[in-house]
Amino acid sequence: MITAWTTLLPPAIILSSLLPGLVIFSLREDQVKLRIGLNLFAVILKLCLVGVMLWGVNQGLEFRFAIGFLPGGGLVLQGGATSLQFVTLSSVLWLATTIYAIGYLEDSPLRSRFFGYFSLCVSATVGLALAGNLVTFLLFYELLTLATFPLVVHRGTQKALRAGRVYLAYTLGGGALLLMGIALLHSITGSPEFQAGGYLGPLLDAHRPSLILAFALMISGLGVKAALIPLHGWLPQAMVAPAPVSALLHAVAVVKAGAFGIVRVVYDVYGVEQVQALGLAMPLLALAAATILYGSFKALQQQELKKRLAYSTISQVSYITLGVALMGPIAAVGALAHLVHQGLMKVTLFYCAGNFAETLGIHRINEMNGVGKRMPLTMTAFTLSALGMIGVPPTAGFISKWYLGLGALEVGQDWVLLVLVLSGLLNAAYFLPLIYRGWFAEPPTQWPEEHALGNGRPGLGETHWMLLAPVLFTATLALLAGVLAGSELSPLAWSQLIINRRFGL
Amino acid sequence: MSAALLSLLIPLISALVLLLLRVRVGGLVILANATSLGCAALALYQVVINGTQQLNLGGWETPLGIRFELGPLTALLLVFTALIHLLVAIYAQRSRHSQTRDTDFWPLSCLLHASLGALWLSRDLFNWYVTLELLGLVAVAMVILSGPRSHVPALRYLLLSLAASLCYLLGVALLYGQYGVLDIRALAGVTSNDQVTRLALLLLTLGLMVKAALWPLHQWLPAAHAAAPTAVSALLSALVVKGPLFILWMLWDNVAPAELARQAGIFFAVAGIAALVSGGLAALRTPWIKVLVAYSTVAQLGYALLALGLLLYWQDANMSIALWLFVIAHGLAKVSMFLAAGEMQATLGSRHVSALKGASQTMPVAMFAFAVAGGSLIGLPPSGGFVAKWVLLQPLFLEPARWPWALGVLLGTLASAGYVFRVVTIAFDRADPNPPDYDSDVSAQWLAMLPALIVWAMALMSEPLIEWFREVGL
Repeated sequence: MITAWTTLLPPAIILSSLLPGLVIFSLREDQVKLRIGLNLFAVILKLCLVGVMLWGVNQGLEFRFAIGFLPGGGLVLQGGATSLQFVTLSSVLWLATTIYAIGYLEDSPLRSRFFGYFSLCVSATVGLALAGNLVTFLLFYELLTLATFPLVVHRGTQKALRAGRVYLAYTLGGGALLLMGIALLHSITGSPEFQAGGYLGPLLDAHRPSLILAFALMISGLGVKAALIPLHGWLPQAMVAPAPVSALLHAVAVVKAGAFGIVRVVYDVYGVEQVQALGLAMPLLALAAATILYGSFKALQQQELKKRLAYSTISQVSYITLGVALMGPIAAVGALAHLVHQGLMKVTLFYCAGNFAETLGIHRINEMNGVGKRMPLTMTAFTLSALGMIGVPPTAGFISKWYLGLGALEVGQDWVLLVLVLSGLLNAAYFLPLIYRGWFAEPPTQWPEEHALGNGRPGLGETHWMLLAPVLFTATLALLAGVLAGSELSPLAWSQLIINRRFGL
Repeated sequence: MSAALLSLLIPLISALVLLLLRVRVGGLVILANATSLGCAALALYQVVINGTQQLNLGGWETPLGIRFELGPLTALLLVFTALIHLLVAIYAQRSRHSQTRDTDFWPLSCLLHASLGALWLSRDLFNWYVTLELLGLVAVAMVILSGPRSHVPALRYLLLSLAASLCYLLGVALLYGQYGVLDIRALAGVTSNDQVTRLALLLLTLGLMVKAALWPLHQWLPAAHAAAPTAVSALLSALVVKGPLFILWMLWDNVAPAELARQAGIFFAVAGIAALVSGGLAALRTPWIKVLVAYSTVAQLGYALLALGLLLYWQDANMSIALWLFVIAHGLAKVSMFLAAGEMQATLGSRHVSALKGASQTMPVAMFAFAVAGGSLIGLPPSGGFVAKWVLLQPLFLEPARWPWALGVLLGTLASAGYVFRVVTIAFDRADPNPPDYDSDVSAQWLAMLPALIVWAMALMSEPLIEWFREVGL
């Protein structure tokens, strides 16, 4: 029997980065060209496969792959609209980050190991997006932890190792909690496939305490990666990793895995009505709101650029949780759109921070004076993304916040608007000084540590082209996502489509 | 049935050949193990097709004769034993650091294989005594292969093992005096909850718990397993402690009166959690690589003990499945871990955990094997350890009154994650790597990796296996 290609496409998308990753491990350090070739081949192959799947889903095809694993829950990979949004985001950002990482790590040691784990990390993220039930999701969630740890400790210094230990303690603990929650649900009903509106409705009365406990366990497990307070402690530490890793961790891989998991649990396992009936929406909402404000306050206090961005991530990712916890369709659109918008903007910000550090040795905020004159393109990208984070129209960040605000009004949680406004003000308070310093302050006579990358002149040669191109690419995407939000191809339109199905509109 | 007997006899004959001809050829043992594995696989196939088979040795019926029984679990354990022996033998032959080339390791490991095979097949308390005694003596003899340094732990092991055997024998005698039969099936119907039976079961249990190093009678294990040559440590942790566990499980699941079993179940389950936590903490603290791995065995046996306890307490057959999945997953993972640890300690020239600094660079494959095996011990999906833990967890969540037990499993998971990643983080310390004393031996490292890969692959076969066990019983 010949298996249909629609069955094989989801595993092929995962394998397209997994297998090259395994080959890369075995390469010698000096096989630079082969390694770069493999990397780019894998990226492009994956993008093509994702493109085919996008086309197929548009045509109404079903992509489903299943093999036996545990009684009551096999390994299921499924390409639906929700998965595809995340898969596309990861694949596109993987392309940008791969190019960035090749430039960033030029001539540094242990690149085979780095790119090997890098590919595994993306495979795990994509697998997690395609996971069709909780068991499969758990599997990739844990694999993601294992694949990212070597990247966090890549530098191998004492500081990196300390961060790595903290990272592991949090994420493995979170993974164990998630496992407990999923096992608890599995003991009640097995692990059927995700379905719009959830599959726990009929069990609500008979298993109330179990369902509440399972929800608490799963959200705390996912909350570790999504950096909900008080489980966020690993994230600011993990920024000792190389810049491309930070970019990936903060924009797609790790924090988004947590946020995406929360989306799955609320919409496709429990269902909005059941979450409300169990009285779980309000605590989640409060937690998200608290995290948003806390992250912003902490970001304001940071003097290191990457640390400030890290705390900003804590705050921004919780917008997704907030939108989910509001339990209304409009807020949900905002949440899903923000999943993509935040990814694009945050990845740009981290690239920019990496460019400043690599080119001029800028690590602290007070060293950013006048950097716009030396690196205008990078600074422009930084500015655009920072404005997006604040939520200035017509940037992508504005679109998500607008929908979140409308959604809050729709379900009668008016106080959430206050949270949004306050957080927007705080965002402005910690981003505007950076923009001001970059453009309007006098540059120092000498940069902290200038490296000879590019031709050293402002413009296209302001740094290594492999560092600059990804910045411009993702900044443009972020800009387009905002400006063209009304078009059919925007993340917003796609989120609208997903939510219409979830809420049966 | 004859295939199963062959799988037992082939190693026995090779042991005799090696001893009589005074040769120590590893290749012969590898060949014997491979043939034995083939026979065991055939036996397993026959059980799948025809179901459980009986054999009365010499044609004598019980209670006069000795009965062998080949059920699903026994067949699987025969395959497991032969597979582990094969994997370890290839490593022992291939690695420069195994300390076992051209030594008595070869005949002894064959004897170990044969006595384990006899243990899995026997269904008779006295026969088990004989196999236990053999197992204990062979194990001690194998520990002292590594030289004078191992004499003290080996002696302690020997003395405790002998005391435990005496304890066990006394229990057997009491039961024989009371009921006049020793066959497990014959005993199962007649035992009553009286004082003599209880005393006998207590003695049997004590003896078996010492031999299986179950908490709190595990103190001899870390020193003995760590002092043995690497290949021997792997066999001891993966197989030898599982033999007495098998008897303990048979005894309590079949022979013990139900009421008594329920009471003992609580004790076993609590001891299991204590083992998980205390073994894990000890592994977190110890400065020695192989002692760390040995303490991990103590901790992992806690899962088996927990499953046994809850099996007795709730009379839930799923717990038996969990128990044996744990045993198999742990066996494979532990072989990998010991081989990797031994290989690294020999190449890096120190038995200290801190000597592993930078091992992710200097010995990447061995370190990766350690981490992959550790992943299964922690229970990360999709490994064999994960599947076992999953089967164990399912009944724990059935009603809120059982939830506290799940907390015990959570603690065990966190503790094992702690000691595995303690090693892994040190290995990623690139700032100050420890230079190896010798060139690292890549093929030996891959041999250490192989069992770990098998345990992860086990997850893919687990669904039919679990369904089969549920259908036909163990």
